[in-house]
Amino acid sequence: MMRIDRIAWRLVALACTSVMWTHQTSAQPFDSPPVPAAPRPLSLAAPQEQTLPNGLRVVVAERRGLPLVTAQLLVLSGAEADPPALSGLAALSAGLLTRGSRSRGAPAQAQAAEALGGTLEGSADWHRSSVQMTVTTPRLGEALALVADAALKPAFANAELQRLRAEALDELGVRYASPGTQASLAAQQAVFGSGAYGRPVRGTPASLQAITRTDVIALHRAHYRPDNAVLVMAGDIGLAQAVALARRHFGGWKAPAQPLPAPPPVAGAPGKDALRLVDMGAAAGQASVTVALPIPARGAADNPEGAVTNAVLGLGYSSRINFEIRIKRGLSYGAGSSFDARRGGGLLLASTQTKNESAAEVLQLVHAQLDSLLQAPVPADELAARKATLIGNLSRSVETTAGLAGQVAALVTAGLPPDALRGRIAALSAVDGAAVQRYARQHFGAEQRRAVVAGDAAQFEPALRAVVPGLVKVAPQATGP
Amino acid sequence: MLSTALHRAAALALIGLSLALHAAPVRAAGALQVAPITFTERTLPNGLKVIAARSEASPTVAIQVWYHVGGRDDPSGRSGFAHLFEHLMFKGTRYLKNEQFDRLTEDVGGENNAFTSDDVTAYLSVVPSNHLETLLWAEAERMSNLNVDEANFKSERAVVQEEFRQRVLASPYGRFYNAWGPSSYLVDPYKNGVIGSIEQLDAASLADVVAFHRTYYRPDNATLVVAGDFEPAQLQTWVDKYFGPVARPAAPVPRVTQEEPAWTQDRVARLTGPKVPLPAVALSWLAPPVKQADTAALRVAQALLSGGQSARLYQALVYRQQLASDAGFYADLRSGPGLLVAYATAAGGKTLPALKAALRSEVMRLAQNPPTAAELGKAKTSLLTEALSARQTPAGLAQALAEAAVLEGGPAMANRRLDALAAVTAGDVQRVIRKYLAGPRQVVIEYTQEGSAK
Repeated sequence: MMRIDRIAWRLVALACTSVMWTHQTSAQPFDSPPVPAAPRPLSLAAPQEQTLPNGLRVVVAERRGLPLVTAQLLVLSGAEADPPALSGLAALSAGLLTRGSRSRGAPAQAQAAEALGGTLEGSADWHRSSVQMTVTTPRLGEALALVADAALKPAFANAELQRLRAEALDELGVRYASPGTQASLAAQQAVFGSGAYGRPVRGTPASLQAITRTDVIALHRAHYRPDNAVLVMAGDIGLAQAVALARRHFGGWKAPAQPLPAPPPVAGAPGKDALRLVDMGAAAGQASVTVALPIPARGAADNPEGAVTNAVLGLGYSSRINFEIRIKRGLSYGAGSSFDARRGGGLLLASTQTKNESAAEVLQLVHAQLDSLLQAPVPADELAARKATLIGNLSRSVETTAGLAGQVAALVTAGLPPDALRGRIAALSAVDGAAVQRYARQHFGAEQRRAVVAGDAAQFEPALRAVVPGLVKVAPQATGP
Repeated sequence: MLSTALHRAAALALIGLSLALHAAPVRAAGALQVAPITFTERTLPNGLKVIAARSEASPTVAIQVWYHVGGRDDPSGRSGFAHLFEHLMFKGTRYLKNEQFDRLTEDVGGENNAFTSDDVTAYLSVVPSNHLETLLWAEAERMSNLNVDEANFKSERAVVQEEFRQRVLASPYGRFYNAWGPSSYLVDPYKNGVIGSIEQLDAASLADVVAFHRTYYRPDNATLVVAGDFEPAQLQTWVDKYFGPVARPAAPVPRVTQEEPAWTQDRVARLTGPKVPLPAVALSWLAPPVKQADTAALRVAQALLSGGQSARLYQALVYRQQLASDAGFYADLRSGPGLLVAYATAAGGKTLPALKAALRSEVMRLAQNPPTAAELGKAKTSLLTEALSARQTPAGLAQALAEAAVLEGGPAMANRRLDALAAVTAGDVQRVIRKYLAGPRQVVIEYTQEGSAK
């Protein structure tokens, strides 16, 4: 059954005789893999939920076994609400939640959390801000007290704002030195233009410098309220205990009378240029090649089709772009695509890094793989394999309490019911080859693609300009404000 | 970013890092009691060690084969070879096609990866549990019958060279991390690192591949760990069926004989890069081999200095003095002499001399100002919780046992390590800081923008 190159076969056989013939001594046929037995299905408890009188939803995803619980307080507002000149505000504000409360300074707060064995993590994404901890079950009550103290009673001390801002600026400087970061920032800007999704969640050096304590307090007052929040607990806990703990630590949280501010539009008009080059000069040790596409929101009816189509294109080792770029041609350490469907739309990013002189060839390969999805239905074997990879990843992601909490939080953030997690496997399984081709034709057309190559432009600009005469050259995101 | 292990695929690199740094399970710390891992252990007549730990939390099973060969064993003039070889193990064998491992794992809802460190090369698969027998067959097959052709060899070597570019050249601190081992060791082949160089990778040939497989990929140099959902008697039957016939070569496995001498003077290595956002510095000292008893206290020292925002280095250098944007301490424990590395990246506008002095002084303060009971309790509780978290998956469970088995003297060390960590006292921490850091010589590794005055 196996095709073996004869020359290499002889070479190895001569050198390794003692090892090569080992299996011939056995009477058992070993020339093909044994056939697998029947599978044992994944059993996933339905998440349960209850809403407290103040409007706070409590969602519990039970997973017993080890004495661990992940608790995450989700506030259903994030970077989408950042004013354009203050991008990074939601992320900086969430970060400040873990830099001191009214009753505990930053060092004391970190000390208290880490004494419980976990880390208090504050973060924001497009449509959520959150504070999270994973602890052993006996420490859960104390951990929730810390989460509540951090999220509800932050100090927002000016000195801490200055510190966190300085750390964030340093971090941007480091991130901007990577071609991958430069390419993905330029790509999201190319796809979403002046819409919120076109700006970076972490802000820019200029926007971070512009943020004041007043901005942070105003954001907290407007968005951190129980009727805009969900407390997710995953792991060694049931609903009754979770609700009792939630009442104790969050029961006194009051929603203000004024309504929640309406979210601004997230997707602006895309840029007209199909290819942007970010010239990082001779210091760039590699080029990042990225193709970005706008995709429908998480709640869209064709979301499972999109996830499967992305799996064929760029999920896992055997996806089309990794096969063509890494396995077949050795042009990269890896190529893949991310499928980030959000509440207001989303972004597919197909990306890889290669030596600068290969960038034009690699970009063409990415486009060719996108084209291939439009041109013909995915063969049944390939589709079954990519769906198995996607479903397997999903199933393994809920093996940890943090992974389970993350999956539930993603659904809640997208405005979907937490129990959609259990229907997800069936929905993905039902996607067929025709649906994949339909999805690709609708969303992956050449006119929808925005490509970015970031690196040492001198080494790839001529080759790319020959193919795309109208390419636009842009400066890298600068570190200074 | 501090992992010395290089992975076949980038996606799992972070998971590998967290496991590599925190795989130490702690049985008791404060009020927490964690049950020891229950496992079975046997050695086949051909020398293969087989360890199994059952958990039915998920319908998946992890199959890991760890070979006791790593970057330290690279053939002379072939730096980076053990890692290149790891990539080739996914190419054809007598009965497996190129990349068929991906068909047997990814395509059925599982995953695979592999990593090479200074001491070991490990092959890691997770599959739905009904595919266990298939994976055992496939691992035995590539242990016995690797068959790589010239085209595959060259193509995969090009992949590894892109990996080098991505890790070392394109990443702003890649050159810095890659220099820790080479700048520190004098004699031990650890000084060659794991990723190697473009030139020495170019020098490798298919004949090297054949020789390397014959020398190191053999049952008496391997440990098979199976963790997760399986039926124990059936597992052992399959192990006997597939691994039993693999021959043990007569020649012994060669081992590194060079001995790293005690360092007799302080040294400084000055490196530059074409794009260094903020200067960085590392101080390194020699660590005792991982099997030695002092490693428990060194792991606790790492947690005290480096675990979270309440840790000493973050509090002193980043928070109070605002000299650093990032600071940490890494006990890189190995089969042979490892490295203890304190490292820091400057804050914007700060320079290296002040940072270097503050970094050294904060590490040494651990010898003068021992941790309070609360601080020590915090470090141990964090280590426990991390270890417990890592055990949630079959892969994490397997990795804890494999690391103990291959590097620390036996799988039981995965549990004994807990007791050792729980027993560490403030005095132990003081003692190991004095013994391994305060007294001995150090190497300073400085990393700055090329063409700039420091």
